[in-house]
Amino acid sequence: MMMGKTFLGLALALAAGAADAAAPADWSKVPSKTITLFYPGAAHWEWMQKATEHSGIKGMRKGESCAGCHDQETADMGKKMVTGQKVEPAPPKGKAAAIPVTVQAAHDGSNMYIRFSWKQPPSAGGAKQDPDNPVKLAFMLEDNKIEMANLAGCWLTCHQDARTMPDAKDDKRTKYVAGGALAGGKFFDLLQWKSGKGAKPADGYVADKRVMEGGKALVDVKAEQKGDTWTVTFARRLTGGEGDVTLVAGKAYNFDVAIHDDSAIGRFHHVSLGYSLGLDNAKVDINVVKQ
Amino acid sequence: MSSQGTPAAGDKKGVWAALRRPSGRYSMLGLISVGFVAGVLFWGSFNASMEASNSMEFCISCHEMRQNIYEEYRKTAHYANPSGVRATCADCHVPRDWGHKLVRKVLSVRELYGKLAGTIDTKEKFEAKRLEMARIEWARMRASDSRECRNCHSYESMNLEGQQQRGRKQHELALRDGQTCIECHKGVAHKKPDGMTEEDAGA
Repeated sequence: MMMGKTFLGLALALAAGAADAAAPADWSKVPSKTITLFYPGAAHWEWMQKATEHSGIKGMRKGESCAGCHDQETADMGKKMVTGQKVEPAPPKGKAAAIPVTVQAAHDGSNMYIRFSWKQPPSAGGAKQDPDNPVKLAFMLEDNKIEMANLAGCWLTCHQDARTMPDAKDDKRTKYVAGGALAGGKFFDLLQWKSGKGAKPADGYVADKRVMEGGKALVDVKAEQKGDTWTVTFARRLTGGEGDVTLVAGKAYNFDVAIHDDSAIGRFHHVSLGYSLGLDNAKVDINVVKQ
Repeated sequence: MSSQGTPAAGDKKGVWAALRRPSGRYSMLGLISVGFVAGVLFWGSFNASMEASNSMEFCISCHEMRQNIYEEYRKTAHYANPSGVRATCADCHVPRDWGHKLVRKVLSVRELYGKLAGTIDTKEKFEAKRLEMARIEWARMRASDSRECRNCHSYESMNLEGQQQRGRKQHELALRDGQTCIECHKGVAHKKPDGMTEEDAGA
């Protein structure tokens, strides 16, 4: 048993060491893209599909993506929702409408290194829903196996019966994909970092339910806060295990980011629209460049 | 010797007969002049009445319009916008060309009945009928290929590059698919009715 633990510790140390060795020494040379995360209110997937509420669904059914119409107005959308002008029955007073996040990514043939930087908005001063973790950042990857994932991104996991939604009845119900299953690859690979002292990052997935463990791809996460600016860097193997999307050069994967700021939980987060990520692929939004 | 007791041929009595009988008293020029002036007066007053009933003041002289949709309309870009162009009630709801306008005016007689019967004379009654009334107008606009919208707007004069991302994308898709304005632009000048179905929304 002791030997097993020693081996595990050594393996983790080696893995972390490998990550350190290959992470870009100078991130300023890695291409960056700013994605503006916004407060989504209670705009769940069921709301999104109602043309009486969201006329854009008609465009989506013709193949248009959320980002295709809304990419340039996410901050305005966040403002409408956080102030209760739209799709928010309980406007959270003082909460930020949007958080611009700079995303950079590189790989060394074995691991992907993806770095998120953002300025922490002022606290709203309300009740702390997750007092142990003032900030959490998560991103998801999907391998084009789920219908409309390339258009709607993580909205496919966000439902009206999820906890913290206005009409939710089950406070244990979290994200899920209708028809989602690991078999056939119908899942979103999910990685999450938490700012809490001693909190471990999660490597899980979202299929017919959300699972926050079991992934084999995550190597480590490094986070630092300088002043009011956070920088969080994930090191992730290109190939993992069950519930991990395998990243292959040239392909495009669906990519989504979320931040739970100000000790928030559930839907009270800031989210990105759906974007694309790929290794050595100039056509995607986040090009993970070879170092 | 003529027979005084027997009417001559064509000497019939009655209004129609009098109208048909040639005048022995007035000149042709006099009759034409009087007819012309009478025609101008009749036509002018008829047209002036039609135009007067197209004014926004006329529309909102009824409290049904003033208290409900006018207040909503005042908050929209069709009432006030940076370019200073205003579309009033008739610009959207009454055709401009004479033939279609006359038909619309004749059909509006039923609205007079509604006024007299008090069909929408309270806010509650108005809201209860809003969807039904909106559906009638949406159907009329769709059947005419949004003719009244196109008095001011057209794809040909639309600079898609100058539009915001969302509008540009939607217009590109609508242009590609041959959609007409009202299919998407419901509720641009008034509140959308409660109870709209997905079919109403064009899904």
